[in-house]
Amino acid sequence: MKRQKTVYEAAIDHGFSRRDFLKMCTALAAALGLEFTQSEQVVKAMETKTRVPVVWLQFQDCTGCSESFIRSSQPKTESVLLEMISLEYSEVLSAPSGHQAETSMKQVLKNYKGEYILAVEGSIPDDDAFLTVGGQSAKATFLEMAAGAKAIVAYGSCSSWGGIAAAHPNPTGAKPVTSFVKDTPTILVPGCPPIAEVMTGVIAHIITFGKLPELDQFGRPKAFYRHRIHDKCNRRAYFDAGLFVENFDDEGAKQGYCLYKVGCKGPTTYNSCAEMRWNGGVSYPIQSGNPCFGCSEKDFWDNGPFYTRRAKIPGTQTTINPDNVGLAVVGLAAAGVTVHAAGTVIKKKLDDKRGEEHE
Amino acid sequence: MGAPKLPIQTPGPFPEIPAINSENSYHKDEPIIYTTMENDVKVYVWELPVRLYHWINAAAIILLMVTGIYIGKPFAGAGIPEEAYYSNLMGWARYIHFFTAFVFTAAFLYRMYWCFVGNKFAKFNPFRWVFWKDTFHTIKFYLFLKNKKPHFVGHNPLALLSYWIFNYLGSVIVILTGFFMYFEPQKETIWAKMFAWVPYIFGNSFTMRSWHHLTAWAFMLFIVLHVYLAFRDDYLERCGSISSLFTGYKTEPKKAVGEKHDK
Repeated sequence: MKRQKTVYEAAIDHGFSRRDFLKMCTALAAALGLEFTQSEQVVKAMETKTRVPVVWLQFQDCTGCSESFIRSSQPKTESVLLEMISLEYSEVLSAPSGHQAETSMKQVLKNYKGEYILAVEGSIPDDDAFLTVGGQSAKATFLEMAAGAKAIVAYGSCSSWGGIAAAHPNPTGAKPVTSFVKDTPTILVPGCPPIAEVMTGVIAHIITFGKLPELDQFGRPKAFYRHRIHDKCNRRAYFDAGLFVENFDDEGAKQGYCLYKVGCKGPTTYNSCAEMRWNGGVSYPIQSGNPCFGCSEKDFWDNGPFYTRRAKIPGTQTTINPDNVGLAVVGLAAAGVTVHAAGTVIKKKLDDKRGEEHE
Repeated sequence: MGAPKLPIQTPGPFPEIPAINSENSYHKDEPIIYTTMENDVKVYVWELPVRLYHWINAAAIILLMVTGIYIGKPFAGAGIPEEAYYSNLMGWARYIHFFTAFVFTAAFLYRMYWCFVGNKFAKFNPFRWVFWKDTFHTIKFYLFLKNKKPHFVGHNPLALLSYWIFNYLGSVIVILTGFFMYFEPQKETIWAKMFAWVPYIFGNSFTMRSWHHLTAWAFMLFIVLHVYLAFRDDYLERCGSISSLFTGYKTEPKKAVGEKHDK
């Protein structure tokens, strides 16, 4: 096997200057949440590390995550695809198809066992009948490729939590990757889709440091999922002031008030939308006037309508308006109490009377 | 003894020991201390910490509910369009909610401590057959059925159960979920780490808020039943239930405590 090119060599080969390369490394360090002094570490890693083989598997998905990935601005998608990683198998981007494509996947398993990164997009059905690619069930393909992978990167809410396919009543038995593998280290990058820079940033981190980024209790990289949208929101001042959009066509909506009352899930959503924003930092849903619906949170698809605030009855898929239900229950109790009180008074009067008769 | 005290039962002679019930059979070493009046006795039932807890808790629940409803669904706001820097309505609602939450938690912890060191009316032991027998008769009493509910100087067992389920368990749920949410934005702090295990029981942020919100309404349901039954008890038993919440003393018929400890 011939010697692999380093990321730096690959960049120079593609006509980038050293200056461009350093600029890319500095920007990458910033995207990874590193200090400026640490960008040297990134440069060193890119000069010495070879490109990482990546196998990108798609299961029950909509290709939205791939679409997001190819819109990364920092690092640029082409530099990720051409310099940092060597995309060995991808249903969307690879030139070969059919048996050729399937063969290249098997080649990776043989040549790069324990070295390649397995990117997974989409949930995996428990019932094989729902998804079979090239004559092999999704579950079998995944388990085969997961066993030899250095790490699994679960892109999107489907592969991280189950996603849309797992919505109640979940006909295909869709499950996240974590319910199939336990031994291979797994990073969850939820979002529907995840932010492009987050997707590339995770891979860049693995290349730079040779290990997984620091993960939170759910397995998401802390660098990108440690903050709530609500705490970084550009409309937060209106929340604290008690100024809310009541309808999408009212004055508050024009003024840019807080979208809390029209169902914004920012207070319960962990993602970097409010800091990194989308499409190269242009905007993000809340900035554009649409409430966040928490696409990177587990079960967001079953947590009730997007544009109202509701509460879920724990342990069920049912969401209710807690205040209406609470008021109804308290009202019923008050009515019951009134009847009971009347009964008590009548019974006491009757008993007292009977007592007098006995005397 | 039935719900109303029938006048045909002439007072005295009082039994040496009142019939065994879940109250006087628990902590026999702590006799009920009372001062005798004509046919009645005055009993010190609610100690000062218990009364303080009761009223601090009640005030805190009301304040927490009002601010909590506002936080969950802001029902008021500026009538005219204005900039954010003129008002801080949600900010204040949250501030009051959080401040009261700390008071609520402190009062709750103190009450839990008093379960160990307080008098026998401040304690609770459901692991006895007689407790559940008395509970059953109390339910029958509330349903206007023929019953053998003994007279209780302190809480009746059904009331005790309702406090443990609605009030204490409810408090634990709102305190745990509440503090998790309070420290949620500062995940790296020691405070947040103290509550980092809460999601394993109550689920993610959204489900956590649902628990918090629905439990708050359970408190409201409890208040309706609790206040009604307290006044009902005062009306039927005439032993000063309501005033005892301020003074601590209840006026009981002698036969409820027996003459054993008469001085």
